[in-house]
Amino acid sequence: MASEINRTKAREVLRKFTKPQVMELDTCAHCALCTDKCPAYAESQEPNHAPGVRSTKAVRLYNKQFDLRARFLGPRPVTEEEVADLADSAFHCTLCGRCMETCPFGFQTHELWSRVREIVHDLGGSLPNVVMLEEMLKESQNPYGLDSDMRLDWADYTDLEEVPEKDEAEIAYFVGCTTAFKGVNHEVAFSTASILNQLGEDWTLLGEDEWCCGSPLLMAGDEHGAREYAEHNVKALESRGVRKVITGCAGCFRVFKWEYPKLLGREPNFEVSHSVEFLRDKLASGELKPKPLNRKVTYHDPCELSRLGGVIEAPREALKYIVGNFTELPEHGMNVYCCGGGGLLQAANNDLRLAIVKRRLDQVKKLGAEILTSACPACKLAFVDGARALEMDIEVLDLLELAARQLGLI
Amino acid sequence: MNDTLTMLYSFFVEKLPYVTIVVFLIGVILRLHRWLVAQEGPRGPRFNLFAALKYIILDVVFFRKTFNTDKVTWLTVFLFHIGAGGILFGHMRGFKIWSAEMFSPLGYWLAEFMVHTLPVYMGWMFLATQVVLLLRRGVLERKKLQSMSNDYAALVLLLITSILGQGMRVFPPKAIPPETYSVVFIPRLIVLHLEKVPSHHWFFLHVLFTQLLVMYIPFSKLIHVISGILTSAIYGSRRRDYGI
Repeated sequence: MASEINRTKAREVLRKFTKPQVMELDTCAHCALCTDKCPAYAESQEPNHAPGVRSTKAVRLYNKQFDLRARFLGPRPVTEEEVADLADSAFHCTLCGRCMETCPFGFQTHELWSRVREIVHDLGGSLPNVVMLEEMLKESQNPYGLDSDMRLDWADYTDLEEVPEKDEAEIAYFVGCTTAFKGVNHEVAFSTASILNQLGEDWTLLGEDEWCCGSPLLMAGDEHGAREYAEHNVKALESRGVRKVITGCAGCFRVFKWEYPKLLGREPNFEVSHSVEFLRDKLASGELKPKPLNRKVTYHDPCELSRLGGVIEAPREALKYIVGNFTELPEHGMNVYCCGGGGLLQAANNDLRLAIVKRRLDQVKKLGAEILTSACPACKLAFVDGARALEMDIEVLDLLELAARQLGLI
Repeated sequence: MNDTLTMLYSFFVEKLPYVTIVVFLIGVILRLHRWLVAQEGPRGPRFNLFAALKYIILDVVFFRKTFNTDKVTWLTVFLFHIGAGGILFGHMRGFKIWSAEMFSPLGYWLAEFMVHTLPVYMGWMFLATQVVLLLRRGVLERKKLQSMSNDYAALVLLLITSILGQGMRVFPPKAIPPETYSVVFIPRLIVLHLEKVPSHHWFFLHVLFTQLLVMYIPFSKLIHVISGILTSAIYGSRRRDYGI
């Protein structure tokens, strides 16, 4: 028998859909155009993973509390089974926002699906692995459950000599958890730090004072937790008089730039740049002069940096200074095909994540690229995992690594 | 008109329009209320008129995204909306919003084509595209999409209304009086001037279903005619905000 969720709670939680979101749910024509472009559906062929189906299920739950019938005859029960079904749909999604680019009405699907996750979370329907990840985050301020004093291990492993942790600095390098804690990305942090050192910038790290940016919490549906992390990080940065925050993580960048003002209700007192924007500026000004590389290189747009972050041209402009033989992947820019590494899909269904990355790697293979670059540690992790699974001979490098290599820094 | 026709005329033409208008307005108010009482949420993208118009034209008028995703669906949807727009425009002549003389500068044959021949083809095209869209929905149902009952209800209602409208052309009355025929829905406000008297059965049913459709608009997915413009404006403004 279906178990009913407390009616007052269900009503209170479902009320979280905002004005434009209710309008979007009412406008959705369930045309399935988004389904055709959804990477999760493309690999699973599971209707419940299609964005339009998620929209139907979300509006049905909303209607149970707020449609005309509910208004005149009283709300109808929302069951745990319905919430679990919606959770299955919501978390089998990379939150890549590709459906927004396909939707004839241009729904802000990234925000909409994040809200669905928040509702599922608040109704107690999150997937067990997502709940576990959230608990680890709250215990250790990172999604890997590792001690904060390991945040600078990358500097030890890479033998970086100058690791500044200052009380005051012009620039802060926000490393991000996936760069700091995942060995495959340690060279990315080392490259960024080396470039900052070579330029003689007045920069600092936050060290143990750096907490997760809050992106995984937002993806898990815990907006309250994400706000707490935003407050901490902004306070840590503002107290150091930082004027510019550089991050090499597309997720951290998006959250810092676009979500923190919403979470905090104000603009932080610093500018936010992704490391590729900083690199592009320094290459364009002639402060960095890399040795040109004559190998076939391609670039994968991280969804959170491009479609959801607004940085599409900067990496390409930077690559012009570094690479002589750059080739575009078939689906790029606003239409980028996700690598599978986003949206906590790894926690929900790692096989699906690998299936998505394999498709992207097939495109790279067909292109005949020797080096695959990107600008996101989660993308790099997905590509390295995928290439290993496919036994594919491709070098996966972050753009900063590529630049540091051509500058003779690594 | 005989007694039955007088009664039908009295109900469908003289009384129902008031009900239709009231139901439509109540529906619009309820729909707006549903949207306006929802949670405020964080500040969205700053509204930018140029970007909003750009993406309304690209995405709402030309269906850019549908074109980029599925060419067959784009063609169907585009022709469907051209048909809908053309038929609405054609009806406006009956309500004296424009006159056939507008096409006189095009020459007799072209004007005749625009006023009398094109609407017939437009009607068939409109019907055909609706059938294709209905079939598409049925084929993809539970595979790629999950419709709500109102998705089908809106399409079926529109299809019936269009069949009845086209039926008037295909099955005209045996004797067509030459004089202009006026149908007074609401005196001095909504008066339909017809060149020919249509087949009464088809006409009354068409009038009934048209009014049912109008009443259903604010309660159905057909509301996207309005809200789709707003969501596209927000999308355009977002792109401008993000610099893309």
